[in-house]
Amino acid sequence: MSQLPTTFVPIADRMARFRLTQRVRRSVILISLLLLPAIALRLFTAVYPFFNTVWLSFHDWNPAFPPQQFVGLKNFQTLTRDIAVTSSVSFTILFVGISTLLEIMLGLAIALILNRAFFGRGVVRAVNLIPWAIPMVVAAIGFRWMYDAQYGIINDLLYRTVGLKVAWLVDFWGARAAVIATNVWKSTPFVGLVLLAALQGIPQDLYEAGRVDGTNRISAFFYITLPLITPQIVTIGLFMVVWQLAAFDLVFAMTGGGPGFATQVLAYRIYQVAFTALNFGYASAISMVLFVVVGIASVIGLALFRKVEVSL
Amino acid sequence: MNAHLLMRWVDRVVLTAAILVFLFIVLFPFYWIVLSSFTPKYELFTIPPRYWFSTFTFENYQALANSIPLDRYFVNSLLFAAGASAVSVTVAFLASYGLARIQFRGANVVFIVFVMSLALPQVGGLVPLFELFKNVGLINTYHGLVILMSSLVLPFTIWILVPFLRQIPYEIEEAAIIDGASLYQIFWFVTLPIMQPALVTMLIINFIIAWNELVYPLVFATSGVNKTLSVGLVELAVQPTAGGGRPWDLLSAMSVVMIAPILILVLFFQRLIVSGLTRGAIK
Repeated sequence: MSQLPTTFVPIADRMARFRLTQRVRRSVILISLLLLPAIALRLFTAVYPFFNTVWLSFHDWNPAFPPQQFVGLKNFQTLTRDIAVTSSVSFTILFVGISTLLEIMLGLAIALILNRAFFGRGVVRAVNLIPWAIPMVVAAIGFRWMYDAQYGIINDLLYRTVGLKVAWLVDFWGARAAVIATNVWKSTPFVGLVLLAALQGIPQDLYEAGRVDGTNRISAFFYITLPLITPQIVTIGLFMVVWQLAAFDLVFAMTGGGPGFATQVLAYRIYQVAFTALNFGYASAISMVLFVVVGIASVIGLALFRKVEVSL
Repeated sequence: MNAHLLMRWVDRVVLTAAILVFLFIVLFPFYWIVLSSFTPKYELFTIPPRYWFSTFTFENYQALANSIPLDRYFVNSLLFAAGASAVSVTVAFLASYGLARIQFRGANVVFIVFVMSLALPQVGGLVPLFELFKNVGLINTYHGLVILMSSLVLPFTIWILVPFLRQIPYEIEEAAIIDGASLYQIFWFVTLPIMQPALVTMLIINFIIAWNELVYPLVFATSGVNKTLSVGLVELAVQPTAGGGRPWDLLSAMSVVMIAPILILVLFFQRLIVSGLTRGAIK
């Protein structure tokens, strides 16, 4: 009697169960094999360095004078009084904030233009891809040449049109404006590209329905187009913010952070402190500031994204 | 009716003007760099600047090749970008296949974690990476640079490839199973060919991103044997010069050398690149 259950389990069923477990085991191995290289790469070059930077930020460490020394919060106390850091925090936020805002507004304008039908649209769309494709350092150096106070083309054009000459990269606000303008020139077309794709995803019959309800072009933009592409605007905005917070090639090649600390950004300050001053511990502490800024921006961005996703 | 026609006419004029302004703003810097690169040095520094080719010359390029190992940098950039592009797309494809095709608990979590790791700032990890690479002997090596760059573009690549794979209907692979193909045969002879357009797209995009990369070569190629064009260009731009001026003749020539291959890629693969870049944002 007690033996019945086991003997009554059909052989085929048991075989099936065996095969199933074997299959599961095989696919676990398969999944690990497929994912392992990617996970290893990210652990090795992104996750481990991140945690090690957190650890290093509590240490004093110059690679020329080896032993690492635990110093507690000393690095963080130093950075609150370090004008190179505090001013770079404020300019980083200004730089990324204004850049992203302009990129989204101008990018939307570009997308709206490129979404219209006109002669040579394919060529203009190809041209729109070029600023994205060229190196930031080339843009930085090209614009630096054009902004040159004496021989630069921008001052010459300004002088011919409004009789004005600006010492762009020498003046505090001139340099800031020049750096932001160059960044916007380089990055806006990419935003335009993504928003154009978003525009193309809007069903045309919505506009026809709107026309029946008496919308004109402006009200159609505000009541149909804008609400429908808001999720993509938030996504690309968040992407641009996070990406621009961490980049320093533009500032490095264009102004070196100057004049003074006018165009110093956090990312470039970290690079300088680490690889020019060889102050690894302190550079790690400044990195922590960058992590916090990126973290705050990401949380705000994701919350915004959730909000617009839900409201749709 | 007349008012309507007038409105349409105004609309066309405004649109055309906007397009022309856009083209001017985007293209003028390129014109200026190219013009400067073919202008002899003494004519670059005139007031007012010359707006058109006056004396066409290749001497800036010659001077550039004489002052830095330009061919070496070019080959280095090529190897770096090609290597990073090939490795990143291979690794990303394997991972995307696992994430999109094999159903397991947490696949979506792993996918989101991968994509979110995009937010870890590259510059924040330079110090530990530098120490690590020094200890394992990866500094000033091609494979060291390729590893770093592949990892940098990996989250973005996976972000693009996973949705693409999910779009491909299971039925195609199921048909292969019914025909008796093994998992590996399916992978090589069914999935890979279908994925080819997406993979080629990501190969091109990652090549461009790596070609343009400054930070990793700047920090991890210190000796010069594998310095890339981007590092060479920046060195030329920031090195102190007598009188404080910049060698705009050399800088413009080098800029042209650096963007020429990219422009060719963009010209030929415009459609693919656009489809790849925008796939992440639209579903």
